[in-house]
Amino acid sequence: MSVPALEVRGLVKHYPGVKALDGVDLVVRQHEVLGLAGENGAGKSTLLKALVGLVTPDAGEIYVRGEAVRLRSVVDAADHGIGMVFQEQSLVPNLTAAENIVLGSEGPAVRRGIYRWDAMRRLAQEQLDKIGSHIDPLARTDSLSFADRQMVEIAKVLRIEERSQHPPVIILDEPTSVLESKEIETLFAQIRRLREFASVVFVSHRLDEVLDVCDRVAVLRGGQSVGEVATAGAVPGELHRMMIGSTGSDDHYHENAAVAVASEQPRLSIRGLSGSTFRDIDLDVAAGEIVAIVGVHGSGREDVCRALFGAEPTTAGEIRMDGKKVDLSSTRAACAAGIGYVPAERKIEGMVGPMSVADNMTLSKQQARCTGPFVAPRKQAGLVDGWIKRLSIRTPTRDTAIGRLSGGNQQKVVLARWLVGGDIRLLLLDHPTRGLDIGARSEVYRLMRELAGTGVATVLLADSLEEAIGMADRILVMTDGRVATEVACPNGGKPSPLDLVKVMV
Amino acid sequence: MTVATEVAVAPRRTPRRGASLRDAGPPLALIVIFLIFAALSPQFRSADNVRNIVDAAAVLAVVTCGITFVLMMGSIDLSAAGVMGASALTVSLLVANNRNDNDFGLLGILIAVLLGCAFGCLSGLALVLLKVPSFMATLGVSAIGLGVATLMFAGVQPNITDAMLESWAIERFLGFSYLTWIAVACILIGWLIQRYTRLGRYAYAIGGAEEVLTLSGVRVKPYKIGVFALAGAFYGLGGVMVTSQLGAGLVQAGDGYDFSAITAAVVGGTLLTGGRGGVLHSAVGVLLVMVLTNGLVQVGVSPYWQGGVEGLIVVAAVAAAVIPLRRRNQVVK
Amino acid sequence: MATRPATVSRRAGRFTGFMPLIALVALTAALTAVDPDFLTQRSLTAALRTAAPLIVLAAGATLVVLCGGIDLSIAALASLSTVLLALWLPDLGGLATPAVILIAAAIGAAQGTAHVLLRIPSFIVTLGGMSILSAIALVVSGAGTVRVVDDSTVSWLDLYIGGFLPTSAAMAIVLVALIAVVLKVTPLQSWVSATGYSESAARLAGTPVDLVKIGAFCLSGACAGFAAVMLVSRQFSGGPTMADNLLLPAVAAIVVGGTAITGGHGSVWRSLAGALVVTLLRVGLPIVGVPSAYEQILYGAIIVVAVALTLDGSKVSTIK
Repeated sequence: MSVPALEVRGLVKHYPGVKALDGVDLVVRQHEVLGLAGENGAGKSTLLKALVGLVTPDAGEIYVRGEAVRLRSVVDAADHGIGMVFQEQSLVPNLTAAENIVLGSEGPAVRRGIYRWDAMRRLAQEQLDKIGSHIDPLARTDSLSFADRQMVEIAKVLRIEERSQHPPVIILDEPTSVLESKEIETLFAQIRRLREFASVVFVSHRLDEVLDVCDRVAVLRGGQSVGEVATAGAVPGELHRMMIGSTGSDDHYHENAAVAVASEQPRLSIRGLSGSTFRDIDLDVAAGEIVAIVGVHGSGREDVCRALFGAEPTTAGEIRMDGKKVDLSSTRAACAAGIGYVPAERKIEGMVGPMSVADNMTLSKQQARCTGPFVAPRKQAGLVDGWIKRLSIRTPTRDTAIGRLSGGNQQKVVLARWLVGGDIRLLLLDHPTRGLDIGARSEVYRLMRELAGTGVATVLLADSLEEAIGMADRILVMTDGRVATEVACPNGGKPSPLDLVKVMV
Repeated sequence: MTVATEVAVAPRRTPRRGASLRDAGPPLALIVIFLIFAALSPQFRSADNVRNIVDAAAVLAVVTCGITFVLMMGSIDLSAAGVMGASALTVSLLVANNRNDNDFGLLGILIAVLLGCAFGCLSGLALVLLKVPSFMATLGVSAIGLGVATLMFAGVQPNITDAMLESWAIERFLGFSYLTWIAVACILIGWLIQRYTRLGRYAYAIGGAEEVLTLSGVRVKPYKIGVFALAGAFYGLGGVMVTSQLGAGLVQAGDGYDFSAITAAVVGGTLLTGGRGGVLHSAVGVLLVMVLTNGLVQVGVSPYWQGGVEGLIVVAAVAAAVIPLRRRNQVVK
Repeated sequence: MATRPATVSRRAGRFTGFMPLIALVALTAALTAVDPDFLTQRSLTAALRTAAPLIVLAAGATLVVLCGGIDLSIAALASLSTVLLALWLPDLGGLATPAVILIAAAIGAAQGTAHVLLRIPSFIVTLGGMSILSAIALVVSGAGTVRVVDDSTVSWLDLYIGGFLPTSAAMAIVLVALIAVVLKVTPLQSWVSATGYSESAARLAGTPVDLVKIGAFCLSGACAGFAAVMLVSRQFSGGPTMADNLLLPAVAAIVVGGTAITGGHGSVWRSLAGALVVTLLRVGLPIVGVPSAYEQILYGAIIVVAVALTLDGSKVSTIK
């Protein structure tokens, strides 16, 4: 066999608090389509970024056709013949398709800063011809359909062929997430054509797609490569088992602490809730119950969660808390209704980095630290110190800027924000353990159990299926903005991740 | 190959090359407003007045040309007033004048334009190197320009005696003053830059998706500086033109032009968020602003309201562009 | 790793916290060295009197900057307020002052509301506002100075406490202290900082972001009105462009004080120090023999450099 087009050995990348890549090995052979599978947080996106020079690995080597390389930028990677079609489409919307295709390496299309539109059109047409696309090169990009834009992206990436004298490696990151099924078929036809003169790395959440289009699938889990599967004859179940691994016997999710749910009147009851990305959502959550919503990228579950906190407008439906209709037109209204929200983007949306632990903890429930309209310093000190102790938050003092704490402690402060008022009735947790290490995760889980024990209803958008199954009493599966099904998830009768995957895709 | 043909027939929005319905708004508004005033005021529709409007639009058109490139990038430029003041004083002291014995003629004009260019560079450098947001950087540069102008003014107003520069405002060709033709040339040049140069196209692209440019290996910083320098050159020329009109170099030569130019550009359909609009849009915007202010005066509204009308137009135009894109929980600074 | 940037910015914050004070002392020392007469009660009193309206303008606008916005209309609003005050004094007498401040506050609130509801960047709203307010001032004043014949109800602001402390300066300092204390002892400080540092996080924590911003603009307007009262009491007249040349010094005062233009970081005390620095520069230039034409250049340079120094570069990835 010839030398691999691309090889990765022992790649390691640390982020504060997490090991995104923990010694990943990967081989991409020439003229093959390699699938890359793994759950959220398995390290896929970090690996891909390292391959195109957006992330500098802490250790490990990348070999291109047997030669060790250091990739410093996207341009650098392109010079080595590696190009990527990004998940969020990376085209300049207000330029023509042709300009996007040649962007950054215009060559003969721009001489001394002057555009030669004819040359540019010809150059772009050459690229589009490679993939047999009929897009007008001079059409504005934002006037094209999603599928056509993807073709433009592929055509753009194929420009790297002209840079290196070797067959390129093309990485496609979740290329199907915005496409209709017919468009996906076209894309797959293109990928099979690409194999004739390039190597392809294909990443998708949808395992059936991966098996359909790839020759081989490499599986990542927890920042490590856990194996490969030849796709001929493989079934999604097999792949998924590798992605999830065996669930440990230890009580990571504190399942024993789960409480029996009293089922009189539901704490939260929504009927027919619709918004821009979701339709007709019905959901009941009882006091003390943890309901997880699962779904692939684009299922609309994040928006449902934000709508429940008044941060996303709704077009129809009603929301009741303890039987009383509430109008969640703003985040303030939601707070007043006893709803709390822990956003997924902790550093941007969850906390105010330069402000102190005390300020962050009391930001939502100001009355908890005030007497009348005034802040009572002693009351605040007692309150904050009490919660720091109760949640064992490791911080030098309550006046330390929250940005200086570790991720797990930051998250505990953000959670405590909703508890200090003592009036929390419903918690919305959007990926509450994202970016946390195992110890911190476990503590967050314990806290969730404790809160459920006190009667707080919880809606959880879990980081992984495993987490959803471990924590939830009930799981709601969403696809394409609708509730596909509901799976009971009682202690002792937990469904397997595979059962869920079947209904998710 | 059946798959590929399927794509070709698959429904999709028609690719757009030229003007769209959205781009037709400002010209339509221009015609409508013109017709309304023409119906209201016989004076307004007189040929003389129409010529007045066009001639009066010349300087604003040149300044707006410059600011359009900055706005296309999604930045903003408040430095026009200062740069124009500095360039006005420079040119009036370099061509034949009553303060000194200089008589550099065209060279003097060129130097004034280059000075504007240098001020633009300064704004661009402050933005790119010091990371000062453009509205702050250009506010500062405007003050510097005014200070430089005041220094050169030195308490004695320089009156120009240069025949060529004076003739610009007086002599007419095909019924319009030379200044108007200069403005037309500027618009043409601006359009060519926007359409056929990397600087112009990248300015447009930076407003559209700057991060994509970076991702594609384009070094955007030089282009940002270049765009501010280009805008500065236009302001410099604007200062020269005002000097020609006044026959003297004044520190206040550019007073109000910064805001009027933003108004004109925004009304013409250039988004403050960048990535849309262009020089031709702005030219229409300039005419719109001029017709509106002239028309209001003709129907008896105090000329003092001009700034107020512009202020309302800007806020309304920006709001109209932004409101359809409103999101909850959106961050607006 | 995660903690390092925060530590650095903290240290930098402590440094910039003293910067305006150091600048103030250094400037005073330098001016005294050049002209020993400068450190006399008479010239210091004059400097304070000049500084008063600037302090008030800067203090109000600081709140808007703390919320992450900018108010470019303060000077134009102050000009309009001088005109209104001069026009109303004969009829309203003592009521004219509160009336003008109320109107100015309402105008500020209106701009804040437009900014929040229409989602227009604050500098555009206030730039438009500046233009509109100037036009109104021109129209109601007939583009001329409005003389005040009977200034008995505002003249108290132009007196001296104990013969040397200008009442206006004392009022300005009291105002700054008042704003600072109210912020400190109520949740407002928390809300304003959160809004400025991270608007989305503040909103998702249920902070009344919109109200806070409108309030900041409202206060900024009220301060512009109050500054106008000071100007009228000193000049015995109102004029449609009377305060216009205070915009740059006010912005310079805010950024020199070390309040970050990106929001969150800063205080009104800093702007007080900044305003004094700017005033010293202003009165100091002629003392060291520099033509006053350099004043503008200085403001421009100060604004650019001070913004660059105080900017929280990590917060904004692409600067427009």
